[in-house]
Amino acid sequence: MAIMGTFMYEEDFLSAAENLKTSGFDNISLLSPVPLEEAQEVLGLGKSPVRRFALAGAIIGAIAGFAMAAGTALVFILPTGGRAIITIPPYLIITYEMTILFGVLFTLIGFHFVSGLPAWRDRPYLPAANIDRFVVVVEGAEADQVARAEAIIRDAGADEIRHVEVDQ
Amino acid sequence: MFDHGQPSYADVNKDILSTMLETGPRYWMLLGTSMSVAGIFFFMPWIYQLFVGVGAAGMNRNAVWGSYLSNFIFWIGLSHSGTLLSAVLHLTNSPWRKAIYRSAEAMTLFSLITAAFFVMVHMGRVWFVHWTFPIPNQMGLWPNFRSPLMFDVMAITTYLTASSIFIYMGSVPDFAAVRDASTGLRRRLYSIFSFGWRGTAREWHTLGWAYTFFAIFVVPLAVSVHSIVSWDFALSAVPGFHHTIFAPYFVCGAIYSGTAGIVTVMYCLRKFLKFEKYIGQVHLDSLGKLLLTLSVIWSYINILELFSTWYGGTSYEIEALMFKLTGFYAPLYWEMILFCAFVPLLMLFKKIRWSWNKMLLISVLINIGMLTERFIIVATSQPRKFLPDSFGYYVPSFIEISITIGSFAIFTTLFLIFIKWVPAISIYEVKETLKPLRRDA
Repeated sequence: MAIMGTFMYEEDFLSAAENLKTSGFDNISLLSPVPLEEAQEVLGLGKSPVRRFALAGAIIGAIAGFAMAAGTALVFILPTGGRAIITIPPYLIITYEMTILFGVLFTLIGFHFVSGLPAWRDRPYLPAANIDRFVVVVEGAEADQVARAEAIIRDAGADEIRHVEVDQ
Repeated sequence: MFDHGQPSYADVNKDILSTMLETGPRYWMLLGTSMSVAGIFFFMPWIYQLFVGVGAAGMNRNAVWGSYLSNFIFWIGLSHSGTLLSAVLHLTNSPWRKAIYRSAEAMTLFSLITAAFFVMVHMGRVWFVHWTFPIPNQMGLWPNFRSPLMFDVMAITTYLTASSIFIYMGSVPDFAAVRDASTGLRRRLYSIFSFGWRGTAREWHTLGWAYTFFAIFVVPLAVSVHSIVSWDFALSAVPGFHHTIFAPYFVCGAIYSGTAGIVTVMYCLRKFLKFEKYIGQVHLDSLGKLLLTLSVIWSYINILELFSTWYGGTSYEIEALMFKLTGFYAPLYWEMILFCAFVPLLMLFKKIRWSWNKMLLISVLINIGMLTERFIIVATSQPRKFLPDSFGYYVPSFIEISITIGSFAIFTTLFLIFIKWVPAISIYEVKETLKPLRRDA
């Protein structure tokens, strides 16, 4: 079961999130119609691992790009006016493009991996959270903690509190 | 930022989604017209050319490149401001970007698709297009990576992929908004498109980081794409092509025509989708200042190109230069100078920059000038190579002119389809520019 508190004001929402966090509720989600840095700070979200995916992609792309161009030249040898078979300047352009291509693709993979999207099961959600409401979701609260979580959310100024079943 | 007062969060959802969910007869008429024009002017002549061969175009033995390639450069150029401008303004955190970037990025995508059509039209035997890709083929050969044409394939496919991902990922939260506002099949489709987005802090955080990295990758990519397109010309030894200034010249020209294209698109969005509330004077003024700056840089590079050719003093380069300035195509050259170097100076005046109609006119003139620029590069150089016995003229045939007109209809069709599938203005980013609703307010 999950508890959902809906807020009209951003500051109430943030205060509820902070109080829940300091009271030891770890499994909370903060839904908002716009990105809020303060909400991310409450959850302690620092630097995202997505950046490692981007770096790994760029490095793999660079190696793959050069290997593809040089490998092709070695397999299909095309001597041109005594020039080297593996010609560095033009192959660096292929390397450059592949660095970017793989960097972008790996960043995309990183986004999906870190964010957990696409979501394969229904999760607590209110469409109003994508319009003009801020929603705090507390999941996995023990029976004795539910009342405490509700009290925190209510005290912060929630407009509405709901209980919803969560797919496991 | 907002000319008509600040809207509420709910207003933003309602205003922008209504342009997608409500469709009037005017839209269908416009879509039908543009599809018909694309069919009649672009695809029918192309099919005819496929049957009779590329001889149907006005290209000949000296001018083996013609309007198809000048159109290709034009459309690649037009693609430049969308994603590039969006990425640069995202990285510099410019708030005026937020209302215009989605459509600008779509412009990039559809310009690239239109440009890709021209490659296929130009190559003649389009069924061999896969030979240009590094994939196994029936000849057992891979492409030659030393060729600038291969650089093009790599750069443009990378740009198309990166631009598609950039616009798609930026739209995910808005797809969720469409999902929530719709029912039936549309709801199911947008549930898939939005990946089950809820707008949690973790999702926003991850999207923010990923989006920033996309932007970081896209900026050097966009610069490289038009540099590489310029090397198709500059790496050959043809007088008029072989200039080291070509890469910055092409990149600057691309951003210039792309920014002018954004002004045209913004005008249409304001007018037809009633986005006056969101696209206001601040956007027009900022775009006007950007266009003015680009026009000055573009003029400077043009003067440099003339100077370096004259200073080099090589007879065949001087001949190519004089042909450009005073020869058969001189009227087009001076039209380009008028439209791209002098007309934009009008934007020095705030009165001009703040007038949507005048800015529309200037932006269209700039793009006519830029289309001419690309034509002049191709048409005045290749038919005038070195020895006078090989001198000739290139004049586009009716087929080529028709295909050029049809390409604008392809772009319009794609854009019209886009505005019914993707919110033309980013909902969540516009909301970010609004003052949050506070209890103490």
